[in-house]
Amino acid sequence: MKEVFISYGSIITPLGNSEEQIFQKMVAGDSGIQTAVEVGNKNENIPLGKIRDLSSDNHYIELLNRTCDQLIDLYGDMVAEKSTKIIISSTKADIEVIPNDSFVSTRKIIKSKLNNHGDPLIISNACISGILAINTAADYISHGLFDNVIVIGIDVLSDFVTFGFQSLYAISNEVTRPFDKSRKGINLGEAAGAVLLSKNNLGKTFTAKYLGGSSSNDANHISGPSRTGEGLFRSINKTLERSKVNTESIDFISGHGTGTIFNDEMESIAFDRLGMNSIPLNSMKGFFGHTLGAAGVIEVICSMKMMEHQILIKNIGIEEVGVSGKINILENNLKTEVRTILKTGSGFGGGNASLIIQSIT
Amino acid sequence: MIYSCKIEKGAVFLNGVKQPIGLSNSENWTKELYLELGLNYPKFYKMDDLSKMAILSFTILKDTVDFEKFGEDDVSLIFANSGSSIETDKKFLTSYSENESPSPSLFVYTLPNIMTGELAIFNKWFGENIFIINEKYSPELYLEQINFYFSKGAKACLCGWVENKNSEQDCTMFLMTNDGAKTTEKELLDIYNQ
Repeated sequence: MKEVFISYGSIITPLGNSEEQIFQKMVAGDSGIQTAVEVGNKNENIPLGKIRDLSSDNHYIELLNRTCDQLIDLYGDMVAEKSTKIIISSTKADIEVIPNDSFVSTRKIIKSKLNNHGDPLIISNACISGILAINTAADYISHGLFDNVIVIGIDVLSDFVTFGFQSLYAISNEVTRPFDKSRKGINLGEAAGAVLLSKNNLGKTFTAKYLGGSSSNDANHISGPSRTGEGLFRSINKTLERSKVNTESIDFISGHGTGTIFNDEMESIAFDRLGMNSIPLNSMKGFFGHTLGAAGVIEVICSMKMMEHQILIKNIGIEEVGVSGKINILENNLKTEVRTILKTGSGFGGGNASLIIQSIT
Repeated sequence: MIYSCKIEKGAVFLNGVKQPIGLSNSENWTKELYLELGLNYPKFYKMDDLSKMAILSFTILKDTVDFEKFGEDDVSLIFANSGSSIETDKKFLTSYSENESPSPSLFVYTLPNIMTGELAIFNKWFGENIFIINEKYSPELYLEQINFYFSKGAKACLCGWVENKNSEQDCTMFLMTNDGAKTTEKELLDIYNQ
């Protein structure tokens, strides 16, 4: 198998439009979540991770176009080359057009903006889409099918998703507090992020090695996580094995941590079962909200920023850890050696996915 | 080896042979097939049509394959369609825009990969899953993905194209085992076109 490199391409979130700006806000502990007025099904005020400087009504089209522009600025003609593949990770894509096909505009924009020869591969696998997309990109590189694969993770806020999570009683009426004793649920958010998987270290932006990844189903319930964290446990074990890395060498875990009672509890049990009790861990949902198909990608980008700056960012919203598995939630930023990172995600449909990246030096 | 099943309104094909199962062209064809197959899986009635078709196809396929020989982590699920969960999306949209009552039971099916979750639950399979939205059925895409998952250690890949879009309802499912046998794009296209 060939070596695979990963670097960040572009990122637009409720905290800003460049990875350095966003990261500095995270270091300062700023959240991008604000209460939005009368946005609920019954006109409730709900905290949302909304991107405030979008000018058009259709956030998806604008975000995807801006992401493409940023990628062209960074990579130039490479985005169109035959040896480059584009992968999109999104749960609902251009959701405003439902009842019409919400994935049509994605193909059009990618084709016209990036001028790429082939069709983009669109992965839609609930909240693990982003990690799955990165793992699939690595497959294309390691099998020698492409030299470069750009993974774009993107999802936007909508009544559809907000009302849906409200109907499941999964939305918190305050800023989300993943892994905290008094957590009440998720905040939804919107974002777009892109990473590049490559056979070469192109050196355009901070670059790390991609070591391995996997997915595993809970085989338990379509909308609730396994009580024992079975799928996550199995996925992480597979990823460790494929990455040829042992638990002791993981410096940091970027967890999923949605802020719901059951998800965070499940994750803590899986990490506990894996003996990952002392590895510093955070959820970034308190910064951006849950950005669904974008989450895996933007959280990998922010994890790479932590590697670049050798500082781990705290899990904002934490006051008192309230999960039964023994885990080491980052209550403060921590300057430390950050060499090997485990990223995990879990989602509806019983999906769990994980990947490991490692610094080059 | 490759094993295949295709179901649609009015017809069932197993390994390339049309089965003598009398199905009508009615909206209720999945329920008819459920009863015809003698399945006893009450959860079936709560599912969206994508999941129903997947469970039915699998049940038919299961008769010709010894799935018991695969361990619970051995089977990777590679599924795709062009319409995502559009029909359930429309129903959920109606539940809040017209009926002012967003339905949680519809909302959970507004993701296409719930279907692969249902297959995993049905079989107690903890293997890998991926769901892809593609403009059309693509043999090349499946072969690519199968190759990826075999090289990562899957003993078999259960693949499917399950579409529920406008009036189109069909499910093409095939199982490839990792025994070195080669399958061509033409073979995969024939399974879909029967």
